[in-house]
Amino acid sequence: MAFSLGFHIIFAAIGMVMPFFMCTAHWLYLKKGDERYLALTRMWMKGVAIFFAVGAVSGTVLSFELGLLWPGFMRHAGAIIGMPFSWEGTAFFLEAIAIGLFLYGWKRMNRWVHWTTGLVVGISGFVSGIFVVAANAWMNSPAGFTWDGRAAYGVDPVRAMFNDAWLHQSLHMQLGALQAVGFAVGGIHGFLYLRGRSPELNLKALKIAMAFGAAAAIVQPFAGHFAGQKVAQLQPAKLAAMEGHFETGPRAPLYIGGIPNVEKRTMEWGIPLPGMLSFVAHDDVNAVVTGLDKFPRSDWPPVVIVHVAFQIMVGLGTAMALLGVLYFWFLKRGDFPRWFLWALVIFIPLGAVAIEAGWVVTEVGRQPWIIYGIMRTKDAVTPVPGMVYHFYLFLALYLALAAASVWLLRRQIEIAQKTSEG
Amino acid sequence: MIETLILFIGASLLLYVVLGGSDYGAGILELLPAGKQREAQKHVINDAMGPVWEANHMWLILVVVILFMGFPPIFTTLMTALHFPMLALLAGIVVRGAAFTFRHYDAVQEARTQRIYTWLFGLSSLWTALWLGIIVASLNRGIIDPTAGNFWSAYVAPWWGLYPLTVGVFVATIFLFLACVYLIGETTDAALQRRFARHAATANALLIIAGAGVFAASLGERRSLPQEFLHDPRLIATIALATVLLVPLWRFINRRKRTATRVIAASQATLILAGWYLLYAPNALITASGPLSFYTAAAPPATLRQLVLALLIGSAFIFPSLLYLLRVFKLHRR
Repeated sequence: MAFSLGFHIIFAAIGMVMPFFMCTAHWLYLKKGDERYLALTRMWMKGVAIFFAVGAVSGTVLSFELGLLWPGFMRHAGAIIGMPFSWEGTAFFLEAIAIGLFLYGWKRMNRWVHWTTGLVVGISGFVSGIFVVAANAWMNSPAGFTWDGRAAYGVDPVRAMFNDAWLHQSLHMQLGALQAVGFAVGGIHGFLYLRGRSPELNLKALKIAMAFGAAAAIVQPFAGHFAGQKVAQLQPAKLAAMEGHFETGPRAPLYIGGIPNVEKRTMEWGIPLPGMLSFVAHDDVNAVVTGLDKFPRSDWPPVVIVHVAFQIMVGLGTAMALLGVLYFWFLKRGDFPRWFLWALVIFIPLGAVAIEAGWVVTEVGRQPWIIYGIMRTKDAVTPVPGMVYHFYLFLALYLALAAASVWLLRRQIEIAQKTSEG
Repeated sequence: MIETLILFIGASLLLYVVLGGSDYGAGILELLPAGKQREAQKHVINDAMGPVWEANHMWLILVVVILFMGFPPIFTTLMTALHFPMLALLAGIVVRGAAFTFRHYDAVQEARTQRIYTWLFGLSSLWTALWLGIIVASLNRGIIDPTAGNFWSAYVAPWWGLYPLTVGVFVATIFLFLACVYLIGETTDAALQRRFARHAATANALLIIAGAGVFAASLGERRSLPQEFLHDPRLIATIALATVLLVPLWRFINRRKRTATRVIAASQATLILAGWYLLYAPNALITASGPLSFYTAAAPPATLRQLVLALLIGSAFIFPSLLYLLRVFKLHRR
């Protein structure tokens, strides 16, 4: 399941964000009549088609896997948290219809209606993403029911959906998707530009993708800060693990880097910034930050994994925010130095790495709970034996799909470049 | 409230069988020898399925969502007892969707890779249809046992046996039949139309043989189909009506009446599905310890209200856009 989700999160992010690039290029073509924008639209459209199809089937797998792997979870959670899924299903349905219209609708309908169907693909995909993250947020901040230790009563699906974590989590995730995909697509076109392959087309492509990516990257630190404060309040154990914060106390230090030593309950190698954790979590350098010592050892998440993943995410996010600022500066100047473009090339896979790292933080950081404070992961898992084969089956399937998609995309890019050069 | 949800489940399943089923059938059709017509057939199928297959696929997801939000005990029982068939189904769905999309969007259209995509698409269509039938057959056998202690009776026995397999074959032939009938109207090439009509006839014959097979195999079950039919005249009526409709269907196929053939074929599918559900309505499942009904397995009323609300509002968006999709691609063809 974790693997399916880890795979789906990337495909879904691409499938969610690419339509916006496609729509922008399409709009520019319709407004300016520049054929290069049309070529770009069609090129991105094929990417969207491939990623949507793979995202859709991997999403189907997930909807089944919820029950296949977590029957204990779904038995109780289905009625409470089904609501965002039902809305997600609706949005996804609309997206599937709109994508059919957009992909095959060239010259069959009014061109602005056609453009709108492309926009509907983007919007409904984006909205589906928010709903799915809201369901995940509920696992971190359960709401909308009362629990007597064995069953749930007084179920209120609306409150469950709009739980305390939905806003910061979906804001953070959606921005993350925009920046990761913006940088990846921008980087790919930057690379082609550096190689001198149809430079004008690729520069236009880079500008469209980075407009989204850079803007999101600049806003993200604020959204991340907001999310951090919420986590401090809702899941102090997760925050403590993220920061490797073992002992409760005022003027808590914020570590840059470092490996937590769980046995000795100290941080090793990290650079401490005194009082900064207190400031980040509670806007006050003297505030008391709850440490892991307040929780029984059996309720600790795997501290090292969570801390390292968190550092990776924050490190990459900071770098992307800086590159985002530089991007707008160079854009205003009207010229991108080569080293900057190469930096973007390096970041092609790194946005995805940051998404995965963030996802590790939120999921592993919640352990040993599947529903925070209510149900432990081990009580939710399926009783069907041999789960390891399930893992291998889907690992093989997804690796094959990922490899095939990348291979197809490379063929796509090569052909597209050849035709636009020739 | 619960009736509305049952209606939504039924309608979604029906639409999945009729619309999605044709897509499966198209894949199965591509497995059959086609000689020189292979390329032309592939183009017709690409054009016919391309804009709609993702939307057709959504009906299944809708059923899953309604089940897990509205009827969690049914969902979890199914996913536990039928864990392995569900996995097989999913693997098939993934391969199928990917192969179909890749075939269309691979920038380099070379014969060898195209053959691999087609082969994968066809094989996984057949595979998925078989498992779909096996799953459906397992719902009302009375073997699913949530309290079973050993691996075999908990996870294998519910779907094991000749009977589920014959139902799988039956479903595959229904899909093939629906696809052939549907595809006749998707091309103006007379030779291809003849090919589709010929295969529709083959599928029709196979369908009857497979149907008889299902009856025969059910004799080994706890409650055999002949017994059930003798008890309930409504069952006989549905199957008889579906069979009688074959007469006008073939008249219209031979005259290439597009709308009439589609309406009749869809009604036949509806009748078969309705007959199937009459076997154990209003229950969702028949387990070893008795039936599990939609009424006893429902989520709390607050959840059901939200679910119905979501479905109704969703329908207000989905149906008009779906009609628009069909209008753009299906009605203005000629």
